[in-house]
Amino acid sequence: MGREVAESCVDSLLTEMVSTYCHRFYANKPELAARRIEAIGYQVGHQLSERYTMERPRFTDHLEAIKFICKDFWSELFKKQIDNLKTNHRGTFVLQDNRFRWLTRMSVDPQNESQDNSADGENKVAQATSMHLYFPCGIIRGALSNLGIPCAVSADISNLPACSFVVRIKA
Amino acid sequence: MIVCVAVVGHQNNPLYIQSFTEADDALKLHHIVHCSLDVVDERVNNPRKSGPTLNETFLGLLYPTENYKVYGYLTNTKVKFIMVTTDLDVRDADVRSFFRRFHAAYVDAVSNPFHVPGKKITSKTFAESVSTIVKSFGFSSAI
Repeated sequence: MGREVAESCVDSLLTEMVSTYCHRFYANKPELAARRIEAIGYQVGHQLSERYTMERPRFTDHLEAIKFICKDFWSELFKKQIDNLKTNHRGTFVLQDNRFRWLTRMSVDPQNESQDNSADGENKVAQATSMHLYFPCGIIRGALSNLGIPCAVSADISNLPACSFVVRIKA
Repeated sequence: MIVCVAVVGHQNNPLYIQSFTEADDALKLHHIVHCSLDVVDERVNNPRKSGPTLNETFLGLLYPTENYKVYGYLTNTKVKFIMVTTDLDVRDADVRSFFRRFHAAYVDAVSNPFHVPGKKITSKTFAESVSTIVKSFGFSSAI
């Protein structure tokens, strides 16, 4: 029990997975690549939620399950909790992580930025970063679905390494 | 002695059912497991208002029959574990630890990337670990 793996390996696997799906398998279909990466995350989240909810009482409502994701689930995955949780009390939750672990080592290539001036370059950067967020989105969706909460999850990058996940629970 | 164990999915679909008797009574045991699902639903929908046991995964004794006692366990992901035993004098702590180990074995089985969620568990490793857990239950309660 409790086999460990180096964090750099996980980082590298994630980066490699995203680049393989985006540039090799579905080079011209970014939506399809995104969907596949999200599906992998879904399965991972589905399995992890089973493991991490062992030995704890059942959740009574949605908020309790979301709190579990923010605290225990996030700590198990990223060794930290979600920094800020907002909700409109009508099924939408915003989970904000001020230093999302899988984005901390990511930076914008300065040369690239100066060449593609203005909007086009920025757009490309945003697209590349958001590709890396489909996997964690899938993890959250998989975990919540397994806990009996069907939902849609999207990610939002404000300024690197901070990012927020928007969870919309389907009624 | 434990005569039957079962894992039932969140839509009451059987994921794994195994009896441990020499006699040809598998159908009878399956029937007992089937009946226990209603008791699980009843327990969950009308929880006893008794502080710490509220929403606990371990549901305790579901119902006794003439020859058997049926115990239940419900995970956060709405997967039910059912256990049928012939022992009449069972300690709660033993059953709890049995279910804890059973749950751990289940988690390992579904974490297999080749397992399809919602389908029956066909893993041999899971079957082996379950029968080990079942055997050790009989052993520890004998002492």
